[in-house]
Amino acid sequence: MSHLPAVGTWRQCPKCQRNVHRLEWGSLQICPHCGYYLRLTATQRLQQLATEFQPLPEITAAAPFAFPGYQAKLAQAQQQTGATEALTAGVATLQQQRFMLGVMDSHFMMGTLNMIVGARLRQVIAAAKTQQLPLVLVIASGGARMQEGILSLLQMNTVLAAYDDLNAAGNYTLNILTDPTMGGVSASFAFAADTVIAEAGATIGFAGKRVIQKTSREPLPPAFQSAASLYQQGQLDAVVARTDLAAVVGQLLRLHQRK
Amino acid sequence: MLEEQLKKIRSAERISSAAVITALTTDFFTLHGDRLQADDPAVTVGYGCFHQQTALFVGVNRGATLQQRLDYHFGALSPAGYRKVNRGLSQAEKFGWPVITLINMPGAAADVAAELNGQSQALAATISQMGRLTVPNIALFLGEGESGGALALANSNRILMLENSIYSVASPEAVQAILKGDEPQDLTKYLPMTAAQLAKLGLVDQIIAEDKQTMVRIDQALQQQLAELTTWSAVQLQQQRTEKYLTVLAKFA
Ligand SMILES: [Zn+2]
Repeated sequence: MSHLPAVGTWRQCPKCQRNVHRLEWGSLQICPHCGYYLRLTATQRLQQLATEFQPLPEITAAAPFAFPGYQAKLAQAQQQTGATEALTAGVATLQQQRFMLGVMDSHFMMGTLNMIVGARLRQVIAAAKTQQLPLVLVIASGGARMQEGILSLLQMNTVLAAYDDLNAAGNYTLNILTDPTMGGVSASFAFAADTVIAEAGATIGFAGKRVIQKTSREPLPPAFQSAASLYQQGQLDAVVARTDLAAVVGQLLRLHQRK
Repeated sequence: MLEEQLKKIRSAERISSAAVITALTTDFFTLHGDRLQADDPAVTVGYGCFHQQTALFVGVNRGATLQQRLDYHFGALSPAGYRKVNRGLSQAEKFGWPVITLINMPGAAADVAAELNGQSQALAATISQMGRLTVPNIALFLGEGESGGALALANSNRILMLENSIYSVASPEAVQAILKGDEPQDLTKYLPMTAAQLAKLGLVDQIIAEDKQTMVRIDQALQQQLAELTTWSAVQLQQQRTEKYLTVLAKFA
C-alpha cells in the first residue's frame, strides 16, 4: 500500500481528520483547515525551492549485504517514489541565484543514510566546492540505515569530513531540517552548516522518542524534540513556515553572494 | 557465535578501560568536567606517561558491578562526556600527544537530558575533531561499540579490536528487531560486525588475541602502531584518516 497520495483522490488530514482534496492540499501539501504539513517528496521540494534544476550524474550501486527483506523494501521504495534512492542532488536556481541543492526524501525508507545516500552527499558537497557554489541541504532522515550495517555508520564521519572541508574552503552552507531529522544524520552533518534552520513542525533529535521511553522510562517534556523547542533552546537559527521557506533561502543566498 | 561473544564482552570480568590505563601508564592525570555543565563518569579522559611519552587516553567506563553500571550509565556517554573528550583532544593537539581511545559501550546516551543538552551536536563535534586531529589517534575496542556514540570515539588512524569485540551500526538487539517475525539468529551472517569480519573489510587494522597475555599484547600493539604513526606529518595523519574510510566504502561502490 502506498503512503503517497494517489492522484485525484481525497486524503484525510492526520491532524484535524477532515477530508481534503488533492487540489486543496496544493503543491506545498498544507491542510487548508488546520495548517498541518504533509511530508514533501523530493520532487515536491524541488518544485518549492528551485525554478531550474540540473541533476548531478546519478550514483547507484548494488546493496552491499544480503540483509533479509532489504531488496524487497528497496524495490517498494523505488516504486512508490519513482526515485532510485533517498537523496536527489543537483545544481539549482532560485531567484536568479545558483547553488548546489541536495534533497532527502522521507518517503524513501525514511530518508535513511546508506552507501548511496552518503556517496551522493559527498558528491554534491564536492561539486559545491569545485563549482564554488553555496550548498543547501534539505534534510529528512531517520538516521543510519541498519540494513547496510557498519557501512551506513561510516557515512557519518566521511560526509561530515567532506562538509568540514567545504566550510573550510569558504563556501556558504545552509541546512534546512525538515521532518524528521534524527539519529546519525542529526549527529553528523545536520548541524554542520553556517545556517541551520528548521521547517515548522519538524521533529529533530538524536534518539527517537520510543527508544528514550524504552531505555529511561521517563516522561517526555511537552513539545519534546520539536523545531519550536529546539529554537527556544538556542539550537536553531530560525523556524520557518513552509510558505516562507523559498523566500528565506533566497534572502540567505543573496546575503552570502561572493564578491 | 555472536551470543557467546556478547556474553564475554558484557561480563563483569571483561577487561576495563581503567585496567588498561592503570597497566599501561604512570603519572596519570584525569580531566574532570566539560567546563560548561557536568562531569560525565561514563568516560575517563586523562593523560599519563606511556613508554616515555605523554599520551591522552579516552576510556569508556562500563562498570563491572550493578552499582558501577548505574553510576556510569552503562557506558553511554552524555553530551557533557563528549565535550570532555573534545577538551582532552584539544590539549593533545596543543601539546603533540597521541590519542588512544578505549571502547566498550552500548552507544551514546539516549535520554531526555542528553537531547536537551545537545547530544547530536556534541557527537558531531567529537567526530569532526577526531577526524581532523594533527596528532595520531588509535581506537581500541575492548568490547562492543555501537552507533554514532562509538563512531565518534573510533574516527581514528588505526582501529584495533580484541578478538571478541564487535563494532556495529546498532546493538545486535536493535538489528534483530528489524528482522520482524524471524527467529533470533546469528546476525553476523547478514552484517559484518566482528573483529575478523571488519578486518577483512580493511576497517580494522589489528586483532588482539584474548588470553592470559592480553594486556601485554595491547601494550605491544599500541606501541607498534604509534611508532609508525608518530613519524607522519599532521597533513598525512589527516589525509590517511579520510582515505581509510573512503577506501573501505569504495569496495562496495
Ligand atoms: Zn488538517
